[in-house]
Amino acid sequence: MASIAANDALPVPAAAPAAGEGLRSRRLVLSHFWLAFAAFLIACVLGAWQMWARSPLDAPAHTASNYFRSVTLHGVAMAYVLSTFFIMGFGYFVAETALGRPLKWLKAGWWGFWIGVVGVLMAALAVISGKASVLYTFYPPMTATPWFYIGLVLVVVGSWIWCGVMIAEMSFWKRDNPGQAVPLAMFATVANAVMWLWTTVGVAAELLFQVIPASLGWTQMVDVGLSRTLFSWTLHAIVYFWLFPAYIAFYTMAPREAGGRLFSDTMGRLSFILFLLYSLPVGMHHLFMDPEHSSGFKFLQMVLTAFVSVPTLLTVFTIAASLEIAGRMRGGKGLFGWVAALPWKNPMTLATGLAFVMLFFGGGGGLINMSYGMNAMIHNTSWVTAHFHLIFGGTVVIMYFAIAYAIWPSLTGREFASLKRVRWQLWLWFIGMMVMTIPWHGLGLEGQWRRVAAFDYTDPIIATWGPWVIVSLIGGMILLVSAVLLIWNLLPAGLGRRTVQVYRYAEAVHPPGRVPAALNGFALWNVLVAVLMLAAYGWPIAQFFADPPPQAVIHHMDRGID
Amino acid sequence: MNVGDPIEQSALDRRWRLWASAAVGGILVVGAVIGMLVLPNFQRENAALDLWTAICRAVGITEGSPAYRQPITTAQALPVSQVAWDPDVLDILANANPQQGAQIAAQVCVACHGENGVSSVLEYPSLAGQSSAAIYKQLSDYRSGARVHELMTPYAAQLTVPQLASVSVYYGRFAQQATGLGGRDLPGDDYIVKLAREGDSARALPACDSCHVPGAGGPIETPVLTGQNLQYLAAQLRAYKTGDRQNDVYRRMRDISEKLTEQEIDGLARYYRGVLF
Ligand code: HEC
Ligand code: HEC
Ligand code: HEM
Ligand SMILES: [Cu+2]
Repeated sequence: MASIAANDALPVPAAAPAAGEGLRSRRLVLSHFWLAFAAFLIACVLGAWQMWARSPLDAPAHTASNYFRSVTLHGVAMAYVLSTFFIMGFGYFVAETALGRPLKWLKAGWWGFWIGVVGVLMAALAVISGKASVLYTFYPPMTATPWFYIGLVLVVVGSWIWCGVMIAEMSFWKRDNPGQAVPLAMFATVANAVMWLWTTVGVAAELLFQVIPASLGWTQMVDVGLSRTLFSWTLHAIVYFWLFPAYIAFYTMAPREAGGRLFSDTMGRLSFILFLLYSLPVGMHHLFMDPEHSSGFKFLQMVLTAFVSVPTLLTVFTIAASLEIAGRMRGGKGLFGWVAALPWKNPMTLATGLAFVMLFFGGGGGLINMSYGMNAMIHNTSWVTAHFHLIFGGTVVIMYFAIAYAIWPSLTGREFASLKRVRWQLWLWFIGMMVMTIPWHGLGLEGQWRRVAAFDYTDPIIATWGPWVIVSLIGGMILLVSAVLLIWNLLPAGLGRRTVQVYRYAEAVHPPGRVPAALNGFALWNVLVAVLMLAAYGWPIAQFFADPPPQAVIHHMDRGID
Repeated sequence: MNVGDPIEQSALDRRWRLWASAAVGGILVVGAVIGMLVLPNFQRENAALDLWTAICRAVGITEGSPAYRQPITTAQALPVSQVAWDPDVLDILANANPQQGAQIAAQVCVACHGENGVSSVLEYPSLAGQSSAAIYKQLSDYRSGARVHELMTPYAAQLTVPQLASVSVYYGRFAQQATGLGGRDLPGDDYIVKLAREGDSARALPACDSCHVPGAGGPIETPVLTGQNLQYLAAQLRAYKTGDRQNDVYRRMRDISEKLTEQEIDGLARYYRGVLF
């Protein structure tokens, strides 16, 4: 082994595709990333304004309708646009680089991209026009203008095309390489694609059969219990969809960038399979307070929920072990000496460390959310928003940054002008997130509501909240600075010397030779997912048709009263 | 399925299939048995249920709440609104004929509610700009006797339900062409503005605007107040306060009006009357 330092410039190997311009999907990947990060930057500006509006300081243009317009746009941009487009772009990159051959279905990828772009524009214009302030969770019987939903459906259709391309590329590769293990990064990406296909069934059914007909005025009433149930089908798994790239980076990028090897390839495969299996039949844990389901099914899904924690624990263990290997290979000694020996100047290593710190705090908060009694205390308070900013905006998104930094040189053919500025950006995101979310959690414990446009701090009961919201606002401003730095780093202005790099993924301590079919494909697991979904959601959904409950009058938010 | 696998490989694959299915199925069965058999059995005594009913409830094929059958009430309902926003009513409104409504309006309603639905008699309400749901609700209440007024009741009682819907839809659509209710400037003293926009949490008074502004998310029948006649608004709030008017569903407006002082009622009525801009 010549060198295992991260991202070393390599002479272009004759066989491999030439780096940089040589990647066939280069423009496709970059287009996805830039759309994702553009949405991200705009949404960060809105987020900072929202925090300002919630604080005792006077924010410009602060009215209730502007607030909900902004929160809807911020939620949609972060949860749907940034995540989906980042994941798709990264998927195309992995398909080409991990499989080591050009994409066969590149054209389809472009179709998916443009369909998604049209959808994003439709949805964004609908929200900006003020006719879609229904928040990213929809909440029928509220309905917005149909353009909003149709736009989002197009984004989902674009992502389905991506799923098709991922699955196809893997099966082509398997056909051409019989008996060989699919590289872990690609195996995980396809696991995510397969999971996403299952995940979107719930929300797609809700939108196509309930919400869109309602918003078009074809129906007068909507069964809210059914729509909540269908949304719950999607709700838990979508979070894992967002999370997957971070875990892919943990397993297949971080160990090598830290100068070591992946502790176990099999652990990785098992974790990703467990995510696929147990992210889906568990969504009813978001409906514990809902009356429409029986205790037996709630209990069953709660039991299944317990199993989603297994892959996360596996991951923490495997990655810690892999980093320890790296630290020791770099000469670290003693119980904790290996931590100091890790290359913290490497962006991926740094981001992984910071992500784990945020995961530690956020995971603690998560334990509170999943405890029935304690959840009742923080339900619908600022605690919840603070929690998912820490986990999703923190742990997951900092890994999105790290992935972008890791693969940027091989995409653009240029190195970063200043790795120091890259590290600054990551540190600022971490610091900003901590400063913003710690007081935000505290306010939730004191009962501050989420999704509220303004607080009257002259009221003595809540007057003490004011200063803490200002602290959160400072955190938000730090995040905004970090977001701007990210864009600067990635733009040509932030890049330096030309380079020719081929991205290389982490190798496992024991590279997989031939693996069982179950760890190399998804046929078996799809059957098992179907069984689990049928058991967990079959009757809970069928009951709405067997014995239809009373429905709710549709409330057209885009039309005013009437 | 990998092509050309040696025999051990396919034996290994079979073992994986078997054990993975067994593990996933086993967890499923254990969860279902505990949730649908064991727990109902332990908890059924709290609700005095037999085992079979408890299981059926846990599975969700028998209704689960209330835990005990409620006695059927024999109390007589007060003369409150009969309007329920069910699909039938919404269909009636969706399919009503506004032309017919226009005729009725021109023949009957114009006398009191004014040309274009803008009433010049200050005690009579304007209708232009009100939603058809709001108008339908009030007309139905006059018709059923849930709301009573010597002048208005006889006219509403004369109309059939489809006529009532058509005139509601007529005035509801009409709003878009004529300036009636809605487009006003609302100047007022700070105290009243705050009451209207933010309410008063110390007295558990919600903000009027949380329901009365179009699109705010209030009940579908919430009427528009902006631009309504001053005397009419004040009279309605007093009627809710004294209980002379009781057709508001769930006592919403009675509970609110009871907490308002006489000065606040006058102030709010002045505020919502607004000035035309
Ligand atoms: C003789 C005069 C008169 C005629 C004719 C009349 N109304 Fe009225 N209307 C009133 C008065 C007075 C009130 C206020 C009654 C009260 O205080 O309860 C009223 C109230 C209403 C309301 C309730 C408004 C609100 O904001 O709550 C509606 C709706 C209404 N009228 C519709 C009609 C329609 C439709 C017609 C024609 C079919 C009609 N009225 C004919 C005098 C009349
Ligand atoms: C929870 C929602 C809600 C709030 C808050 C609310 N209202 Fe109402 N209001 C209604 C509804 C619904 C009606 C129609 C009731 C009925 O069916 O008779 C109504 C009716 C009225 C009417 C009679 C209008 C007419 O045309 O007949 C007046 C006046 C009124 N409200 C004033 C107020 C004022 C002033 C406040 C604030 C102090 C207020 N409301 C707060 C829901 C609300
Ligand atoms: C500059 C950084 C950010 C700031 C200052 C910020 C601030 C906020 C604020 C103030 C809210 C509204 C909370 C409420 O009304 O209760 C919010 C909501 C939300 N944010 Fe952020 N945020 C930031 C970054 C992010 C990131 C990176 C993500 C995820 C990738 C994200 C996802 C969301 C989501 C999903 C909502 C929920 C919207 C809803 O409740 O409907 N935010 N954010
Ligand atoms: Cu969940």
